[in-house]
Amino acid sequence: MLLSLSCGGKSERNNNNLVYWSSNNQQEIEFAREVVNDWNKKNPDKKVTFQPVPEGQSSEEIILAAVVGKTTPDIYSNMWEGDVEDYAKAGVLVALDTLKGFKDFLYSRCDSAVIKEVTSPDGHIYQVPWKINPIMMMYNKNEIKNLGYENPPQDYSQFLDASKKFKKDLNGDGYVDQWFGYSEVLVTWWQRLFDFYPLYIAASNGAPLIENNKAAFDNKYGIEVFKFLQTLYQKNYFAKERLSVRQDVFLAGIIATRFTGPWEISHADKFKPAGLEYGFTHMPVPDDHKGPVYTYCDPKNLVIFKTCPDAQRAWDFVKFMTSKQNDLKLIEITNQLPRRKNLETDPLFVNYLKDKPKMMAFANQAKYVKGTDPYSNLTEVFDIISQEYEACVIYGKKTPEEALKEAAKQVNLLYLK
Amino acid sequence: MPYMLHFFLFIAFPVVFSIVLTFHKWNIIAPMQYTGLANYIHLFNDAFFWKSLGNTLIFLAIHIPLQIIVALFLAEVLNQKIKFRGFFRAAFFLPVIVSGVVVTILWQQLYGFDTGLFNRILTSVGFSKIGWLTDPSWAMPSIAIMATWKNVGLYIILFLVGLQTVPAHYYEAAELEGANHMQKFFNITLPMINPTIFMVVILSTISGFSLFIEPYVMTGGGPLNSTLSAVLYIYKQGFFYYHMGYSATLGLFFALLILAVVAIQKKFIEKEQ
Amino acid sequence: MKRVIFYILLTLGALVFLYPFLWVVIASLSPENQIGNLTFIPTSISFDAYSQMISKIPIFRAFLNSIFVATCVTAGVLVFGSMVGYALSRLEFKGRNMIFYMIIFTMTLPFQITLIPQYILMVEFHWVDTYWALIVPYLMNALAIVMFRQYFKSLPQSLIDAARIDGCNDFQIIFKILWPNSISAIVTIGIITFMTSWNEVLWPLIVIREDKLMTMPQLVTLFAVGGRAESQLGVKLAAATMLALPIVLAYLFFQKYFIQSMASTGLKE
Repeated sequence: MLLSLSCGGKSERNNNNLVYWSSNNQQEIEFAREVVNDWNKKNPDKKVTFQPVPEGQSSEEIILAAVVGKTTPDIYSNMWEGDVEDYAKAGVLVALDTLKGFKDFLYSRCDSAVIKEVTSPDGHIYQVPWKINPIMMMYNKNEIKNLGYENPPQDYSQFLDASKKFKKDLNGDGYVDQWFGYSEVLVTWWQRLFDFYPLYIAASNGAPLIENNKAAFDNKYGIEVFKFLQTLYQKNYFAKERLSVRQDVFLAGIIATRFTGPWEISHADKFKPAGLEYGFTHMPVPDDHKGPVYTYCDPKNLVIFKTCPDAQRAWDFVKFMTSKQNDLKLIEITNQLPRRKNLETDPLFVNYLKDKPKMMAFANQAKYVKGTDPYSNLTEVFDIISQEYEACVIYGKKTPEEALKEAAKQVNLLYLK
Repeated sequence: MPYMLHFFLFIAFPVVFSIVLTFHKWNIIAPMQYTGLANYIHLFNDAFFWKSLGNTLIFLAIHIPLQIIVALFLAEVLNQKIKFRGFFRAAFFLPVIVSGVVVTILWQQLYGFDTGLFNRILTSVGFSKIGWLTDPSWAMPSIAIMATWKNVGLYIILFLVGLQTVPAHYYEAAELEGANHMQKFFNITLPMINPTIFMVVILSTISGFSLFIEPYVMTGGGPLNSTLSAVLYIYKQGFFYYHMGYSATLGLFFALLILAVVAIQKKFIEKEQ
Repeated sequence: MKRVIFYILLTLGALVFLYPFLWVVIASLSPENQIGNLTFIPTSISFDAYSQMISKIPIFRAFLNSIFVATCVTAGVLVFGSMVGYALSRLEFKGRNMIFYMIIFTMTLPFQITLIPQYILMVEFHWVDTYWALIVPYLMNALAIVMFRQYFKSLPQSLIDAARIDGCNDFQIIFKILWPNSISAIVTIGIITFMTSWNEVLWPLIVIREDKLMTMPQLVTLFAVGGRAESQLGVKLAAATMLALPIVLAYLFFQKYFIQSMASTGLKE
């Protein structure tokens, strides 16, 4: 017994291999495994060991715990862009711009807006923009047609109009049981990344939440978004109940739209009932909106931890992992998009995407996406917004103006410290 | 004593570490920063913390009496000569042994506004639906009911152990004097199992104070912070915002508070005896 | 008549506790599109959810891990818990009350406080990703100590005095005299400990990262909240059923023992 116990404790780094953690999403594990095997075959002297990080409600805790215990991997591929600044400030990440060949690589991969987005206020860059999942509006094609529309709603009035028509009490018990859409009602901060934040980015053409250490969201766009969402709940077009604990309500036809990312495609295709057809369009925008419609893209990036004994070697692997070929592999295996420019025009990608119209919609959207602002404490910012969101949007206890003013006040306090 | 070693490693060290933390600002990843009493001052001005304490007290006010009454009643019933006693006992104990993950998955279905079992029953007998988890005034009671359902079996067993220690001849003597069921219960059973009641009150106070996983999974503390329990708030401060120092301060203050409550309970109950 | 009503009410009461479990089992056996129906009998049975789940996660390996960990923890808690409980209830020594209050105090500590320091310890001992990390921190348990203390207090002092006259030392008293007289307490505490250990989720999440060392609830939680279930209710419920099943069976098995031991404590005196 003792013997078997002591065997269980194999050390993290059993030889000179670098350690790479991926997320533990099934497809991403598969992708990481393939890439790592490929790399190890080509570079038998610079091998990489790969391991999925246990993910779930506490993946942050595991990374944190690893930081405390100095058991961080050398390379981690699933860090939310909004967390990077916190880790960078704490001095546990390698400033990648100090590595040979980084800048050239970055400029060939990303345009200036993205580079600006990932540059820390201290001037360094601690992350490689890796993959994105733009948030768009998924809609049930048949239901939209049944309501008498040719196209899915594009702006707020169209959306509200369609909502009004779609709302129903099917079983006649006096309560609405069919809603036009649903967004998670939990107050947990990251839920706002899938409703308020993309709507705000869409309305404002990608305006920042935080600027110069101050809240920047208490503006016309923020108020419009809050008003729009508040109306949806007030009129019972969106359910206040947690529909997410039931089965997939979109596939069951209980809702007709959903704000979501490309991960939904493989899921929906696998489980949809016969006859259900769906498509994706941009997030709804205010009626007077002009120009392309931006959205939030939920960026997950690559970082190298300072515990890494040879950052340059880790960088070589990261470069390999994000090569064009491997980016294509990423799309093929995981249905997520690499964050690189010209995705929708580069023949390599277009060739693959051309007979996948749904993925193509996301690739086209990828031109107009935004991640997070390069500030620390974003978790708290989103939590503050979420508190006010719940009070104002869902429960109608405050006006949008009051709610945003209060949120801005608290956020400013946060950065004052 | 090995207990002492274990105690120092796994209890004392973390406690001391936490106390040190309360005087610091620490986000886990960056080095600690000494801040003196700032955390304590913040605590007294933190409306969310007091709100979360109030919520926890609401939870306890519902949960403990409900738990004791239900547990004592069912234990008393099970202690009678009834058929299928084993079956009933197993039924009541079942929720206790099952993982909280299973229970929360289940109850979310039961509490569903539109399709949940409870609301189906309510509408079928002509009442209007209740927003079990969506109505701010119902959410905490709903969680208290669920927690009682989940834990009551454990306390039934504890009470049963207590009831078994009541010597049978006491009842026989009482029966000779013509005491009825109620009289026997209040005059013999209750006084005899007082130590068990004391233990149950303390245990359920402590476990009630540590209310966490239910609101964490089911409501995230909402709606409108009505189910934000103290531990959930401490957890949020620590693991959402990484305010480890402040979180430790809250935790320490909270632990002392619980200790005080338990000590008062003990004094009170001893006086009664 | 009164009797009949009594049993009907009692059965309804039992149903309140049982129905949700029946539902979860039935739902996990139903095809995905019929889960919404809150019925007693599935319209058609399908084991799809189970086969899918088994192909996705190493649930059987996790089951063995859980058994091993929970057994070690339970044995430890019983041995150490009874020793400390004995000391607190029967030995006179300085600071006894203080230690008792310290133990009560540790029960009140929110686990969040001790989480990070304990994790640092695990790292220092190189116990991350080993069974040690799952077992050692749990070998002492305040609740078990309090319960043993309470129970030993209810045993007659004459038992111990007699043993002392026969020349028993404290350890012999605990294991030879008190244990045989405390079967019901031991079983109760054993079961409580076993299932607490069995159901522990957060700690394994933090100290175990390798799939093959994961405990069952950890694996199921990761499965239910993470992406691997692809938000299909059926497979989640199947995983939940699998998680509940062993401990329910174990309890049903111990139940007999439970009643016997309790009856015997009732007879004694």
